[in-house]
Amino acid sequence: MVAPVFRNRILPYLLLLPSAALVLVFFIYPAVQSLELSLYRVHRVRGVKLYVGLENFERLFTSTTYLNSLEVTAKFVVAVVFFALAISLALAVGASQPIRGFGAYRTLLIWTYALSPAIAGLIWALLTDPAIGVLTGALSKFGIDFNWRRSQSDALIFITAAAVWKILGYNILFFLAGLKNIPRDVIEAASLDGANAWTRFWKMIFPLLMPVTLFLLIMNTLYASFETFGLIDITTQGGPGRATNVLVYNLYNDGFKSTTGIGLASAQSIILLGIVATLTVFQYRFVSRRTFYQ
Amino acid sequence: MMKRFRAIPAFVAFAAILVAAVAPVAAQDDVTTITFWHAMSGSRADVVQQIVDAFNEANPDVQVIAEFTGSYAETLTKALAAYQAGEPPNIVQVYEVGTRTMLDSGAIIPIMEVSGGTLDQSRFVEPITNYYAIDGELRCMPFNSSTAMIYYNKDIFRAAGLDPERPPQTFQEVYEMGKQIVESGAAPYAISFGWPAWILEQMYAKHNIFLANEGNGREGLATEVYLNNDFGVAVLTEWKKWADEGLLFYGGREYAANDPFIAGQFAMLAQSTSSLGGIERAVDFELGTAFLPRLEGYDEIGNNVVGGGCLWTMAGATEEELDAIWRFYQHLASPEMDMTWHKGTGYFPASKETVELLEAEGWFEEHPNFRTAFDQILAGENTPAAAGVLLGDFVLIRDIVGAAIEDVVVNGVDPQEALDFATEESNQVLADYASLFGE
Amino acid sequence: MSAITTSSTVRQEVRTGATRQRLYPVVMHLVMAGAVFLVTFPLIYAFILSTQSTHLGTLVPGSALIENYQDAWRQANMGLLMRNTLIVALSVAVGKIILAILGAYALIYFRVRGGMAILGLIMLTHLLPLPVRIVPTYELLTDLGWVNTFQGLTVPFFASATGLLLFQQFFRTVPTDLADAARVDGAGPFRFLLSILVPISRTNIGALFLIEFVYMWNQYLWPLLVANSDQTRQIQIGIKLLVATDAVIDWGTVMAGALMAIVPPLIVLLVLQRSLMAGLTTATDDV
Repeated sequence: MVAPVFRNRILPYLLLLPSAALVLVFFIYPAVQSLELSLYRVHRVRGVKLYVGLENFERLFTSTTYLNSLEVTAKFVVAVVFFALAISLALAVGASQPIRGFGAYRTLLIWTYALSPAIAGLIWALLTDPAIGVLTGALSKFGIDFNWRRSQSDALIFITAAAVWKILGYNILFFLAGLKNIPRDVIEAASLDGANAWTRFWKMIFPLLMPVTLFLLIMNTLYASFETFGLIDITTQGGPGRATNVLVYNLYNDGFKSTTGIGLASAQSIILLGIVATLTVFQYRFVSRRTFYQ
Repeated sequence: MMKRFRAIPAFVAFAAILVAAVAPVAAQDDVTTITFWHAMSGSRADVVQQIVDAFNEANPDVQVIAEFTGSYAETLTKALAAYQAGEPPNIVQVYEVGTRTMLDSGAIIPIMEVSGGTLDQSRFVEPITNYYAIDGELRCMPFNSSTAMIYYNKDIFRAAGLDPERPPQTFQEVYEMGKQIVESGAAPYAISFGWPAWILEQMYAKHNIFLANEGNGREGLATEVYLNNDFGVAVLTEWKKWADEGLLFYGGREYAANDPFIAGQFAMLAQSTSSLGGIERAVDFELGTAFLPRLEGYDEIGNNVVGGGCLWTMAGATEEELDAIWRFYQHLASPEMDMTWHKGTGYFPASKETVELLEAEGWFEEHPNFRTAFDQILAGENTPAAAGVLLGDFVLIRDIVGAAIEDVVVNGVDPQEALDFATEESNQVLADYASLFGE
Repeated sequence: MSAITTSSTVRQEVRTGATRQRLYPVVMHLVMAGAVFLVTFPLIYAFILSTQSTHLGTLVPGSALIENYQDAWRQANMGLLMRNTLIVALSVAVGKIILAILGAYALIYFRVRGGMAILGLIMLTHLLPLPVRIVPTYELLTDLGWVNTFQGLTVPFFASATGLLLFQQFFRTVPTDLADAARVDGAGPFRFLLSILVPISRTNIGALFLIEFVYMWNQYLWPLLVANSDQTRQIQIGIKLLVATDAVIDWGTVMAGALMAIVPPLIVLLVLQRSLMAGLTTATDDV
């Protein structure tokens, strides 16, 4: 910690005030409200309120739809995070090779960062359109009938592919930055050229990328869980059946499409909060342990 | 590095100029502004705009601003939220699914009040009045009404050796003809639906079977749906058979089936009559239309139920605004505008007078497909079961039924099981809803 | 050169090693060019579709390029969408940067009683992504009368834990002498901040600007709920409305609209990517 330089009793608090106030008003207060609302059933327009205790939670944990949503979300998030990290790591390592002309690849690989999940979804929806998609056409030549409008597993694969594609640019950018921090001689020693490249990479380079990887693990988990609403809303809308009905989509339907679901949606918010909190604690522990052993 | 840093302020400045350049012109304030939120997009939005423009031109003291606010479900959600926030639109177009929600919201002014009791209900085509009237009184201004019908590709029928002038009339015929179409290789699939949950509702009404208690929710708040009765199961069992034998192309919950139909992927499409305009313009084959098929073994005659949208007047309008709104409604319902609307979109003409004018003009002879929808609805009987079901938070129930149908036709779940589950979930929604109205 | 490479190459024939060394860059170029093509292909496909008037799943460009882009521009009201989204993305990016710098400045250069508590409070935002509090936040907006306003679209996003951390980390690496010297010269806290700290923070400012601009440009759920009219509608929702047609979707027009919507964030990314890289490189040192 730097020793404080300026002495002023009021100024620092004034400087922190806007941030703190915004956090209180737009984060803490609504979170507390969620907790309160989760105990009620409310008519959104008329304002009629009925205390129901823990019924909303009880109902969620016995609801086939909600349990399915938890399962779908878990599968989706794990798949997105795994493929997004694996593919971007491979591409970043490839692009960071000290070979003439590779700078261009580094720029050409990060552009998907500018995409929104919704637009990524649209583009993939057309690419894999059951009737006119060029990828569907290619797959059918290999005897694979890919149809995300009809097949539940195809739908999950489809949203996963689009979500992974969109986040590649972001991940590659961070991995490239991480690789740049690695001393040149280590990179050269672990050059992909030559025997045992695979082993050398995992032994020498990957440990040095651990902090970036863990950071991206957190960010990608949050992304897959919370930022992919647009992708799903613009393409599968949670279907077919409830194959892509992720937690946030389910919450939106209950909270905003119905006039009486605010309480139920708030209970879902609280459950989400619980999940995020658990993940965060787990990740902080995991991070600190790793650093300790290194 | 410094150079790039300077790029930010430069970018901000450039953006600010851009922002200023496209800033909207402030509205004049000596005119009454009426906001009208609708869910009509594409070519339909253009027709809405045309009708609104005609009104604004003829009424310089009123400015109606029509805004497309998203899908029906989103428009409904937004209108109620905006009411809650104290800034509702004056008029909102709500699909039939939202009728109960609007009635119970306390956020609306019934059309009879808007018109000062001067609206003549009998001018509207009967099934429309039946749907939107509670206790015999209309609550909203009928605007875009449609029903479902079969669109079919006559070229595929011919290729399959079927008579193109004889579309199927029963489920059994759909099955048999479908088999012939697929087996002959005339098309990869035989049939698809748009709005499958709505098609199921149509089936109930057409066979004069109640879908919910309390007289389909018209005599009181419905607390129970009859989705899993023998009729519902029988319909889904047929659909499942079509799917299992490769006849049914599942085309999503709204209009996504239109594209593959136009592309010739299947021969028949059960879809809203309001897609007629768009489909007719897009196809390069000979298009036929027919009534929805009937299910054997259920002989009662009901009618097709009306879908589409109705215009609701949101509470909080001033006297001046109410007057302007009523004038706008009268403009909409005028035969001239009604005709423009019908011809441009395929939605029903709302008033009997317009129908007569269209007949006299020979419009239906020239456009037989526009006639089918109409004949279909006049061929039925306007029984209570056919007036259409009103359910609290129907938006959610539509989703529940939509998912159940997908479970059956896509995942091969047993129809009884899927509908039992959907019934249970729907009844829960209804119970929650009822519990907030002191019952 | 490390021992590992040497020992492993020694075992190989000299000649093969030499060929390998010449071939390796060529092979890698092929591999990477292939990878870039695969990653970019969906976009190329989108572009091809945006030139076609009928869609049959072909890769042959059509002749409707200009027509589709004009249609998309008109149908989606693209000019207004761009304006609205720029207002939101710029306000949030700039607002966040200012608040984060002020906060980090206070925590590093002043003695703040309860500073850790305040920091902890701000860090709590990490636990509370929008979906966790969306219903009450929307209700709050209703109470404030901010539904369908630019305040409603921006202010809830102003607080930023990421930004605060970024600047805090960076300020820690700034030599204390700099501030001491400034103070001795009689510079007040604001002059030090504005004339010394901000200019040397430009890389981090660029990095945060990029992250926040792209993040806000791509917002979907919140604008879907909050913006009700053409005057506030955000671009992602505008694109959604192009698709949400009740009849036959004109995919050429939709793709044209989608591609136009990518341009602004892409420009920001291209201009500022080096700042982000540099900012990340300093930041990750401390992770």
